[in-house]
Amino acid sequence: MAILSLAFKSLLNRKLTFFITLFSIAISVTLLLGVQTLKTETKTSFMKSISGTDLIIGSRGASSQLLLSSVFHIGSSTNTIKYETYQDIEKLPAVEWAVPISMGDSHKGYTVIATNLSFFDHFSYANKQNLTVQSGSIDDDMFAVAIGADVAQKLDYHVGDRIIVTHGGGEIEGHDHDNIPFFVSAILSPSFTAIDQTLIISLEAMEAMHTETHDHLGALPGETLLDSDHHEHHDEHDEDHEQHAAHDKHDEHHDEHDEDHEQHTAHDKHDEHHDEHDEDHAQHAAHDKHDEHDEDHEQHAAHDKHDEHHDEHDESHEQHAAHEHEDTQDQRIARLLKLKPENINAIFVGLTSRHAVLGMQSYVNNFQGEPLTAIIPAVALQELWQFFSLAESALNIVTTFVVLVGLLGMLSIILMSLNERRREMAVLRSVGARPSHIFGLIIGEAGFVCLTGILLGVILLYAVLLILQTPLANYYGFYLDINMLTSNDLFILLTIQCSALLIALIPGALIYKYSLSDGMNIKF
Amino acid sequence: MINLTDLSFAWNKQPIIDIKELTIKKGEHLFIEGPSGSGKSTLLSLLAGVITPQSGDISILEQPLNLLTASQKDTFRANHIGFIFQQFNLLPYLNVLDNITLPCSFSGIRKHKALSQSKNLESEAIRLLNALGLDDPELLQRSVNELSVGQQQRVAAARAMLGSPEIIIADEPTSALDSDNRESFIKVLFDECQKADITLIFVSHDTSLKTHFKHSLKLQEINQATIKEAV
Repeated sequence: MAILSLAFKSLLNRKLTFFITLFSIAISVTLLLGVQTLKTETKTSFMKSISGTDLIIGSRGASSQLLLSSVFHIGSSTNTIKYETYQDIEKLPAVEWAVPISMGDSHKGYTVIATNLSFFDHFSYANKQNLTVQSGSIDDDMFAVAIGADVAQKLDYHVGDRIIVTHGGGEIEGHDHDNIPFFVSAILSPSFTAIDQTLIISLEAMEAMHTETHDHLGALPGETLLDSDHHEHHDEHDEDHEQHAAHDKHDEHHDEHDEDHEQHTAHDKHDEHHDEHDEDHAQHAAHDKHDEHDEDHEQHAAHDKHDEHHDEHDESHEQHAAHEHEDTQDQRIARLLKLKPENINAIFVGLTSRHAVLGMQSYVNNFQGEPLTAIIPAVALQELWQFFSLAESALNIVTTFVVLVGLLGMLSIILMSLNERRREMAVLRSVGARPSHIFGLIIGEAGFVCLTGILLGVILLYAVLLILQTPLANYYGFYLDINMLTSNDLFILLTIQCSALLIALIPGALIYKYSLSDGMNIKF
Repeated sequence: MINLTDLSFAWNKQPIIDIKELTIKKGEHLFIEGPSGSGKSTLLSLLAGVITPQSGDISILEQPLNLLTASQKDTFRANHIGFIFQQFNLLPYLNVLDNITLPCSFSGIRKHKALSQSKNLESEAIRLLNALGLDDPELLQRSVNELSVGQQQRVAAARAMLGSPEIIIADEPTSALDSDNRESFIKVLFDECQKADITLIFVSHDTSLKTHFKHSLKLQEINQATIKEAV
């Protein structure tokens, strides 16, 4: 203990070099641990991007590409699969749920994905957490858009704001789908996944944007053009026939408008307000369709609710202006048609049993209808992460060298102090210190400096993490989880400490040799 | 008390020490006169047991040093011998008190002896400093760097005497002092060694100091190795 106290006092006597060494070690430790933390957190955050989804199905191709485009919204979304395939997959007994995903549009650089409402029920991330809404609510309206937390924050959007979606990635000017404006119905809570930088619209709305409705502006009163145009769709799609039927009915309804009032009791009030407005036709048509289709009951109910709402707030028309009263003509047409897309980009699938995953995957990979690829998200994420392993090792090497430089700095400072300390050593020898004491003095000093450096480094690390946590989450959508040091971190720290002691063997051995050869001579 | 017989030591094959016989009696104050290069540092290192002779025997307090292991010699030195060097005796990072009590960290015997003199190490240090003519009590907590060279040598002497070792070896302890300080330093050193019955071996090249000692010898005369030590 006497030697330790001597080593400590001797060290304090050389405060400047001590603190320089201390800080160089502390900073290198902070850097090393920081890189480790970032690495782990990046990986965790990466792996948390999707969970609860058993399979992602897309067109035949590389699994990483499908993962990147469907989960991270990176890369091309030109590879499509048929919407029919989605309908087929959904009906399979092993499939508990299936959510269609379509991409290709953007808004001010943020990805727009089109899906249906079940996306919000089934898509989950991290520990099977569903997306939650921080303001507004998920609206079933065709032109409602739910926006990610980052989108809302960066673009300062609020519930009710109108936005225009751009065709493609936004590289080409003038490809705005300004004929179909959306209104923000919900702002999602931050999930720290790609969803934060995403706008979510309905498949029908996306299809509406991409149908060449520009040609038919002003076509509503005549409607002949409309019919002929959409017959093309009817030929291909059974479902469109139903819609067409709805459309036909609407036409009749249009003709017999006055007599039909009783049928539309729920909309009486609505009609009073909007007798003079053509867009009522669209509403009525949609509702007629509801009458015919059981699956639309929910939507219908929602509409009824809407109407009630409307009754209560006749005076607050402005609130609803965004999505009801100022529908563009294209939107009115779209509401009428409710076209399902022909193609989508991916399907997220949840299975009834986890054991069915492999069987389902091979079924999908050998799908009769069209060439498909099914990936297991966890496996694909892991595979994709392997790509980063090179960068990971590069970082590891660099930070290891930073630590090594820190330790070498300590070595050179101790070595430089040796000559002036030979005198000190001779005095200690004269009062009975053994060469091993002298040796211990040097090793103890190195050990103490390194240990203090490590502790300071850890404190610095947590300080830096705490300081960076909020800005990283706010500006980069990267949630830095502050955890205890992992066993790996502790192992690294132990290695550093042991290396310091090993390195100190060099000056330790030198001073041992000096103390033997110098004897009782005080060298000047 | 101290017996050297047929002692020889060579460094890099050059003989530095070759002494047929030397005996120092208990309580003796011996002046060893030796210019630099006469091998006196080597002789002191041999007496301290930090270097081992190639041949011959050294026995101190009836203990043959060659029968001891290196660490036993270190312990033996800590227990029985106090050293005073020419200069820089003190550790700059310890205060005066810690410098004086330093031998107690390495020798239980000297700590025990010191505590038998006074109730604690601090009061023993004060007692020794007073005896050596340093009576400022504030001195204890001072940094040794603030002391004059004369004060430093007295602190070194106090350290050498703490816990009453049987032998004190002083290597040119006065060469950094002016003549007034030199006289008074030697006087208090003698007095204290006398009182504690300490054998004093005083090595110097300064022949004028010889007059203070009853016993003196010239190292060149007993050392048959004539090659100059290169220090």
